[in-house]
Amino acid sequence: MPGAASATNASRDDAVLKLENVSIALSATRTTMVHSVSLSIDRGEIFGLAGESGSGKTLLMRTLFGLHDDAIIESGRMTFKGAEISSSGHRKRVRKLLGHEIGFVPQDPFSSLNPTMRIGKQIREALYLGKGISPKSGEAGKIALDLLDEVGISEPELAVDQFPDQFSGGMRQRIVIAIALSQEPSILVADEPTTALDAFTQRRIINLIIERSRTRNLTVILISHNLELLRQNVDRIAVMYGGQLFNILDSGEISEGAAHPYTVALFNCIPRKDMTLGDIRSIPGEPLSAGYGLTGCAFSKRCGLRQDVCDSSLIPVNSALARSFDACLVKAGRQA
Amino acid sequence: MSESEAPLLQIRDLSKTFERRYLVQQSNFSLRSIDLELFDGEVVGILGESGSGKSTLANIITRLTPYRDGEIFYRGKEIRSHSPSEIFKYKSEVQIVFQDPYGSLNPRSTIRNSIKEGLRLHQSHLSRQDMDARVEELLKSVGLVSENPEKFPHEFSGGQRQRIAIARAIAVQPTLLICDEPLSSLDVSIQAQIIELFASLIEEYRLTMLFISHDINVVRLLCDRVYVMSDGRIVEYGKTSEILNNPKNDYTVKLIESVF
Repeated sequence: MPGAASATNASRDDAVLKLENVSIALSATRTTMVHSVSLSIDRGEIFGLAGESGSGKTLLMRTLFGLHDDAIIESGRMTFKGAEISSSGHRKRVRKLLGHEIGFVPQDPFSSLNPTMRIGKQIREALYLGKGISPKSGEAGKIALDLLDEVGISEPELAVDQFPDQFSGGMRQRIVIAIALSQEPSILVADEPTTALDAFTQRRIINLIIERSRTRNLTVILISHNLELLRQNVDRIAVMYGGQLFNILDSGEISEGAAHPYTVALFNCIPRKDMTLGDIRSIPGEPLSAGYGLTGCAFSKRCGLRQDVCDSSLIPVNSALARSFDACLVKAGRQA
Repeated sequence: MSESEAPLLQIRDLSKTFERRYLVQQSNFSLRSIDLELFDGEVVGILGESGSGKSTLANIITRLTPYRDGEIFYRGKEIRSHSPSEIFKYKSEVQIVFQDPYGSLNPRSTIRNSIKEGLRLHQSHLSRQDMDARVEELLKSVGLVSENPEKFPHEFSGGQRQRIAIARAIAVQPTLLICDEPLSSLDVSIQAQIIELFASLIEEYRLTMLFISHDINVVRLLCDRVYVMSDGRIVEYGKTSEILNNPKNDYTVKLIESVF
């Protein structure tokens, strides 16, 4: 595809986050958990990261953004807004960016806020740390009210004086998002932000994140196990399995040829509106966890297309940082 | 499943309040005058968000939670008027599969013993060999053919444990199987496996099932009829296809719109 190649070159200059052959290892045992992930995320893009539990998606993101104490970047380059930050002192450097350039919304809204501090103070503190606005100033107070209003908290004047336990899970997640947005980050990383919430709240929180991204040209990485949720909301999706990056594709292409066999299989597992019982295709076997020490494709034992090459060869990596990528060895063999 | 038959389970005007005894005396309605009917051979869904009272309902039907207001008839008899032997029989005929397969199996008991426990209680006429054969047969029907029944629950994955919990529930050949969010704690690909397992068990054992879930799309796949619950009330019920394709209640409409 010559057209795709030129598009890649054009977008690469605009990349907010670039990962080149990044591997993640546990710091204690040096076990490699995530193998050679390469991808590039553009400014303003809403990027989905999908995978089952144990696929390494959360480990990858938390380590990259300095939130994982037990894992390190073993090899590879991480470039954030043109500057490489993966060399020595990675965690220190990325922690400096966290809360300024990088906003993080964790899964659990119940443990991510300080339970002993009023909401208003938590936002003012974030403003002080992120932008140096004095927490006592009227300006900080006003920004806090505006932010709460923006994320849809009714009566922000009352909310600023309340404690986290006085809010429901969905409201807390909004407050966490307000705090993340207060620092005007260039990238917002949301790790399963709605898994603990019910359907109404899930829809509202996702819509809030997407809307903020569109209006502020904010880059978003949305991590989720629900491929259908990602398909409906994000621009591109990366799919991980057993610590390997399998697939990067436009969200519209999930059921088409661009998809890796695992992406297709995972998508067919999810009951959707138009499905009957016969359309559900489960994947036999159990999902593999990251870090099992690997040769070949992690999915080969559960894959319908499995051939000998799947167990003997290393899977391709996306060294070229292409916009779309497929690591299936069988499909690669067919094309060659 | 003709409508003229008497229902297997009939709930009339069931309410349940949980009282907060500390600080302020306050009653929280968990269920508000629930009416529900369940006929032989039916798979009925209960759809609702967290906090809607659907698990309370399951616990009341299985006699895990007592109730005061309203009536529950099983084969035409109010379950509070059961004699001890009838209670014993009821507890073998009504089985439940819980959400969390990690919490619902005894960690100190091999899975053979866990599955046999129900058989020992309720089918004590079986010989030891017959029981062991039955355990093997059950493991096979839930798709755990090659697994060693002498293993302990911690040696299994979440999906396998849920299969064991299902085997344990169907071991005593229940008339009514209640499933309380049996998929929620499982991975996406494993959820699909368990959906397929339920579908084959419904076929094989002609199970009457009450399937409690917050997932509209799973209810759509498995259930003949559905009750939609919100805030302790049943807001709408009917044939699954009718309710989900053509909802009348505002809450149901909103719920269907929010699902991805």
